[in-house]
Amino acid sequence: MARIERFEDTDESGTRHKAHISAQAPLRVKPSRHNLAPNSELETRGPKPDPARVIYLKKRNFNMFKKDLILRNPLRLMGHETEDILPKGGFGAVLARAGVGKTAFLVQLAFNSLLRNKNVLHISLDDPVKKVCLWYEEVFRNIAHQYNVKQTDQLWEAILPYRFIMTFKVEGFSVPKLEERLTDLTEQGIFLPHMILIDGLPFDETVRKPLSDLKTLAINHSMHVWFAVRIHRHERPGPDGMPAPLLQVADLFEVAIQLQPVGKEIHVRGLKGGTAPSDHPALLLDPSTMLIKDKG
Amino acid sequence: MKNDIQKVRNIGISAHIDAGKTTLTERILYYTRRIHAIHDVKGKDGVGATMDFMELEKERGITITSAATYCEWQGHEINIIDTPGHVDFTIEVERSLRVLDGGILVLCSVGGVQSQSITVDQQMARYKVPCIAFINKCDRSGANPARVIDQLKEKLGHNAVAVQIPIGLEADFNGVVDLVSMKAIYFDGDNGEHLRIEPIPQDLLSEAMQRREVLIDAASMFSDELTEAALEGEVTEDLLLQAIRKATLTREMTPVFMGSAYKNKGVQPLLDAVTKLLPCPSDIENQALDTDNDEVPVTLSCDPQKPLVAFAFKLEDGPYGQLTYIRVYQGTLAKGDTIVNVRTGKKVKVGRVVRMHAAQMEDIEVMPSGYIGALFGIDCASGDTFVSPGIGLTMTSMHVPDPVISLAIIPKDHKAEVNISKALARFTKEDPTFKAYVNDQTGDTIISGMGELHLEVYLERMRREYNAEVTTGMPRVAYRETITNRAEFNYTHKKQTGGAGQFARVAGYMEPITEEDFVFESKIVGGAIPTQFIPACEKGFRKCLAKGPKMEFPVTGIKVVINDGSSHPVDSSDMAFQAAARGAFLEGYAKAKPVIHEPIMKVVVETPVEFQGTVMGTLNQRRGMIVGTQDEGHMCVIEAQVPLAEMFGYSTVLRSATQGKAQFTMEFATYRQVPKGVADELIKKAAEEKKNVA
Repeated sequence: MARIERFEDTDESGTRHKAHISAQAPLRVKPSRHNLAPNSELETRGPKPDPARVIYLKKRNFNMFKKDLILRNPLRLMGHETEDILPKGGFGAVLARAGVGKTAFLVQLAFNSLLRNKNVLHISLDDPVKKVCLWYEEVFRNIAHQYNVKQTDQLWEAILPYRFIMTFKVEGFSVPKLEERLTDLTEQGIFLPHMILIDGLPFDETVRKPLSDLKTLAINHSMHVWFAVRIHRHERPGPDGMPAPLLQVADLFEVAIQLQPVGKEIHVRGLKGGTAPSDHPALLLDPSTMLIKDKG
Repeated sequence: MKNDIQKVRNIGISAHIDAGKTTLTERILYYTRRIHAIHDVKGKDGVGATMDFMELEKERGITITSAATYCEWQGHEINIIDTPGHVDFTIEVERSLRVLDGGILVLCSVGGVQSQSITVDQQMARYKVPCIAFINKCDRSGANPARVIDQLKEKLGHNAVAVQIPIGLEADFNGVVDLVSMKAIYFDGDNGEHLRIEPIPQDLLSEAMQRREVLIDAASMFSDELTEAALEGEVTEDLLLQAIRKATLTREMTPVFMGSAYKNKGVQPLLDAVTKLLPCPSDIENQALDTDNDEVPVTLSCDPQKPLVAFAFKLEDGPYGQLTYIRVYQGTLAKGDTIVNVRTGKKVKVGRVVRMHAAQMEDIEVMPSGYIGALFGIDCASGDTFVSPGIGLTMTSMHVPDPVISLAIIPKDHKAEVNISKALARFTKEDPTFKAYVNDQTGDTIISGMGELHLEVYLERMRREYNAEVTTGMPRVAYRETITNRAEFNYTHKKQTGGAGQFARVAGYMEPITEEDFVFESKIVGGAIPTQFIPACEKGFRKCLAKGPKMEFPVTGIKVVINDGSSHPVDSSDMAFQAAARGAFLEGYAKAKPVIHEPIMKVVVETPVEFQGTVMGTLNQRRGMIVGTQDEGHMCVIEAQVPLAEMFGYSTVLRSATQGKAQFTMEFATYRQVPKGVADELIKKAAEEKKNVA
């Protein structure tokens, strides 16, 4: 099967080049606490710098913004060094009660991959494509507003080709069906996801089987999968604090993050994976924008 | 002619292609006794539906022109505008909605809310048109009205509530249960003209009770009286209808009706609903702009005694001259009146006033406010406002999109040449999205519009109605040029070698903008360029926009700022500054990294699931970016963004790839930069063409 390089970026001169950050000449970026992060993939990968290359101011701003966003992603802020905290075939869960911000959080994780030019397949059960698109637009607008970025059109256009949305009816979703769709996409070289987001999968007593099948699929396709998991007020968590929906399938998950409303704030708490589970919330979400507010 | 504004309804029927709008209209006309026989779209009798009066429409089974027609039901006068379903003719839909007070959203009980339904719904929302929904084709296999109601809620965000439930479905579809009167309605007779009202069948009673509760719950949100009555268990029909009407008028609720127009079921209750639930002209607040007072919005009153304000929303050229479809918003329009066209300021005398009934018409003496009719022999363009002399009001102009595709046409002989010019003059006047002009360089006549089908239909009409045979060139996409960098310019125009001299210097910079097509700003201080020459500079820059220096495409998204310059006391002139501005533009433009932009279309394909992969493949081959896929059981919807340049002939490709089972709609989405490879190709092609012309 041919490897897929679905998208190409176009710079001001109209030259197309593979839009991996690593393939671009390093930028003369003003040092900041973000771009000096150790082990940053951005700094370690890529060809030798071309000293003669001119960096246009607009492009520099654009790339700085992009880098900044990558470095400010929720996982990194939680202490995970890169976004690849999940191994190939790995599962991550974002748990919260209804309306707390699971989808917004997932979309932020998606942006982190999209900005690194990695393909994201967003699967939504029940929401139409239009609504999922609106989530992305809304989160992107909020991010742009938070970072006071004016001209975001170029970045938006650049990341869109890396995103693919699939929606299913809850009752119509099954792993063999997903596999069939994925084959449609990959065989024709249309889209090969690096990461899958699944929003709306009911985590009931029958979920183990589809999750195990998904795990196999993810391993076969070298992808990792994030799930939005809805928890209910009336369900008691396990003795280790693991919310009820994940109790029976926790072994399949490498990372679990819980969003918890406390008063007027939303705390982001690591339950499993990455840094050790902590009693103290690592991060806060701004309830109005659902973006990370501050380091806890 | 009656004159009770409370009993007038101006309604439109909007839907996705093939949802059955024209069939429904045909049945409405039959039951209201405007026609005496039913002819189906693509019917075996070859007569075609009454509303599809153009020969071409009959042949293709699609509705192209919004034909206005009039009928009466239960003492109410109903004006119906039949609107086209294809997105290429969206301007027609928009023009119709502009003058309507209410709408019927027709949905297919199998296909549900389809892509065009979404577009039409957005348009209805833009003009705040209250609507009721009609789920058609309940007799078809796979019919599922409950699913369509869910889709109305999920996809369109309507507060859709069933006012009826079906008695049987698919081949067993017999009639409907009215949840307001709690009666079963059956449709007897050859053409379903005899209504038989009976008690609800036992097997449907509990479902009907349950659905009625839902309806009362939803309606009681808008009426305290109904809430009280519901608590006491004494809900009357009138009370329930009043509450539903109140919510419908504010677009807070969409009552859902169902039936099968083709099988003559459910149409009469729908007509009842039009009279009982949709607004009359005085229920709607219409506004005009006061041209004498800085275009301040003025609310119009439906009073027929007030000065006239009327809006020409559609033109047609018939054998007896130009026919102007008009809606009166205020005052009365009578035969023999003198009225003023606000745009031209010209006074015109009203000759004949008619009420339209598809291709036939009847003469009337007066047209009071709230009515839709047509005038004969009035010279105007669509979108013009007519008022009584001495009034300076204009209806807000309509949103008209720019054309995205163009085609060169060459007449086959001299006779065709004459006829073409007549046809083009008419079409361009009738349809603001259709444009025609002559290319200066090639001398070709170019027509442009909103899509391949849009142009095809006009070509066909030229052949049939004007007997004008034409050969066509390849369709051309409306590319644009823009800049991507800021660049400075400092240009001196100097010609002082003999005769009257010319001197002007213009300096400043240009930069890309996204919000507007062109912005000109003068930051000249200290009179470096005398004030009287600054408009000449702007004019010079503007003149350069029509043909970009890179590929001769129009230039957009550019801001020009001038901040310095110089002049000569004798040799400087408007002309010299215009020439300097042109030179400055060329100088700056070359440095500002110009690029070509192409129109990107939002393409939505609905296909059976088994062809999903194939369809995605066809889109991908066309440089399409697939946004997402939506699984809807046995059908799926693929949404993609594809360059228009790649979409020519796509309908044939899609048809053969899916055994004719898929359909697609396409509408303009945005302009996006052309990839380098394609741009090079374009430049090469343009150079070749230039060479050929030379």
